[in-house]
Amino acid sequence: MTPASVDPALRALAADLLFREADALDNQDWANWLAMYREDARYWVPAWIDEHRTTADPDTELSLIYHTTRRGLEERVGRIQSRKSITATPLPRTLHLIAGLTIAEADTEAMRVRSNAAVHVYDARTAAHHVAALRYEHSFRCAPGGGWLIAAKTIVLVNDRMPSVVDFYAL
Amino acid sequence: MTPKNADALIDDRPQDKVFGVDRSVFTDEAVFQDELRLIFEGTWVFVGLETQLPRPHSFFTTHIGRQPVLVMRDGEDKIGAFLNTCRHRGLILCPFRRGDQKFHTCRYHGWTYDSSGRNALVTDRQVGQYTPRFAQLDHDLVRVPRLAGYRGLLFASLNPDVPDLEEHLDEARTFIDLVLDQSPVGQVEFVPGDVTYTFQGNWKLQFENGLDFYHFQSTHSAYLDIVAKRFAEGTAGALSAEPEQEAPVQGSFNFRHGHAVNWSIKNTDNASGRKPLRLEVDAVRARVGATRAKWMLRQRNLTIFPNLQIIDVQSMQLRTWRPLAVGVTEITSHCLGIVGESAEARRLRIRNYEDFFNPTGLASSDDNLMFEYCQDGYAAEAGPTQGYERGLASRPDGAADYAAELGISPVESAVGELFFGGEMNFLPGYREWRRLLSRGRNR
Repeated sequence: MTPASVDPALRALAADLLFREADALDNQDWANWLAMYREDARYWVPAWIDEHRTTADPDTELSLIYHTTRRGLEERVGRIQSRKSITATPLPRTLHLIAGLTIAEADTEAMRVRSNAAVHVYDARTAAHHVAALRYEHSFRCAPGGGWLIAAKTIVLVNDRMPSVVDFYAL
Repeated sequence: MTPKNADALIDDRPQDKVFGVDRSVFTDEAVFQDELRLIFEGTWVFVGLETQLPRPHSFFTTHIGRQPVLVMRDGEDKIGAFLNTCRHRGLILCPFRRGDQKFHTCRYHGWTYDSSGRNALVTDRQVGQYTPRFAQLDHDLVRVPRLAGYRGLLFASLNPDVPDLEEHLDEARTFIDLVLDQSPVGQVEFVPGDVTYTFQGNWKLQFENGLDFYHFQSTHSAYLDIVAKRFAEGTAGALSAEPEQEAPVQGSFNFRHGHAVNWSIKNTDNASGRKPLRLEVDAVRARVGATRAKWMLRQRNLTIFPNLQIIDVQSMQLRTWRPLAVGVTEITSHCLGIVGESAEARRLRIRNYEDFFNPTGLASSDDNLMFEYCQDGYAAEAGPTQGYERGLASRPDGAADYAAELGISPVESAVGELFFGGEMNFLPGYREWRRLLSRGRNR
């Protein structure tokens, strides 16, 4: 299917999926956030290689985060929930704003969706406020029992001089 | 305010086994300005690797202290470091992080410099009605007074009055060698991909953290839980580790000019057992001998004062820093690749690096926040911290036997049980800090 002929219902579906993911993150609803991912989901935040290119091969170049299964995300959630990491005691508040949704590819089984996100991260202790400027690319696949699951998510961090902590909830 | 002189900020009485650091070294604006001028712009600092300049006319940009710097390889393969500022009106000459260019043209009025820093063009010079004096002026880029390499690690100094680099590095060189000699061609390279971040704290918090084994179990307990779980489930990526034959200890060596290294010997070593070097250890051992191969497999955190740390654990990190303000520091973190290692070793190295280091990693993010809480805590006028006490009762040459294995004679050394967490390796940096600040202030 070409982007020009995207069914408005499909667009609405994709938007709903993106907003649901953002909502789960901002509400610290980790279980529902993880449940949106397939077990073999790839989660990838490439690094920048120069002013305008990001790294392309995770086996020979650096990524900021690279997980080839959902397990990596589960570990990150577990670390936050353990309350043993200072990064989570307390967690900052976050707010995801998503715009510019484009259906790059779609058929009855899978769709690839690009969007832009601004994630506001607010540290209630210091009142420090940081905004992460992000480009998302989600690959969704139909789940066996109906509905859609995230098979891959690539996040390009546009403002890559990072603050001291950058984790999944702020991406 | 008249700042306390540097001698008063560091309470160093070796005879009485007393060492203390005044909290204001982390918070005082005047101290910070002196550090920029007298330390970062006053002694050798790490600027990069020769392998960042792979071809004639390759360049990269960086900073030395506050000052923008352009490092270039010229057409004759000579490397030079220059202030990255046009001689005409001062703007940044090269705006790019890195690249290959035979000439750098200033975007404002077109003055052009070649890769050896020589001025090649003063735009419309003939019709410029310059005085004869102009011809006498040097129009070339201003050269950083000292630039030298130690086995491909480039250091520069804006102050010409520094000892030769090898003398400056002292026996810390042995620990640089233990990194480089892991490569069959004796070279390391940065794995492509930039990682830069800031933390809201003084640069010395990172300096101290790299020297600090004491924090590991408490600061990183959430990470350690994850690793333990991976080992229990067989997903830790453990390679066939030969158990250490020697008793588990932690130790450190102190060198001249502020450098130090802390190292550990562990029997059940999560980090060492995951080292990519394990994949190639037989070849490495055949090349460098059993003793040095053994030391290559051990965790070693090397600190080259004032701005370089190489952390050789389950991956290898090179980090360097630029103080932006008394309470803001920019860190640049690199994954060090061993030139000539296998694709599998490189892949493991990268995965292990991403897992642990950087604001996005499962351990460095803990450290970074600790620095910020320290910086905020230093606002309390609660007297000197008690952070330089562990190991004060130890013999000053406690690890001499370990040093002898490597053929070195450190100025001081210490060794203790596995959770010793000695803090004596913080001392050389503060002694060099005090020497440089006192020297400058007395000028």
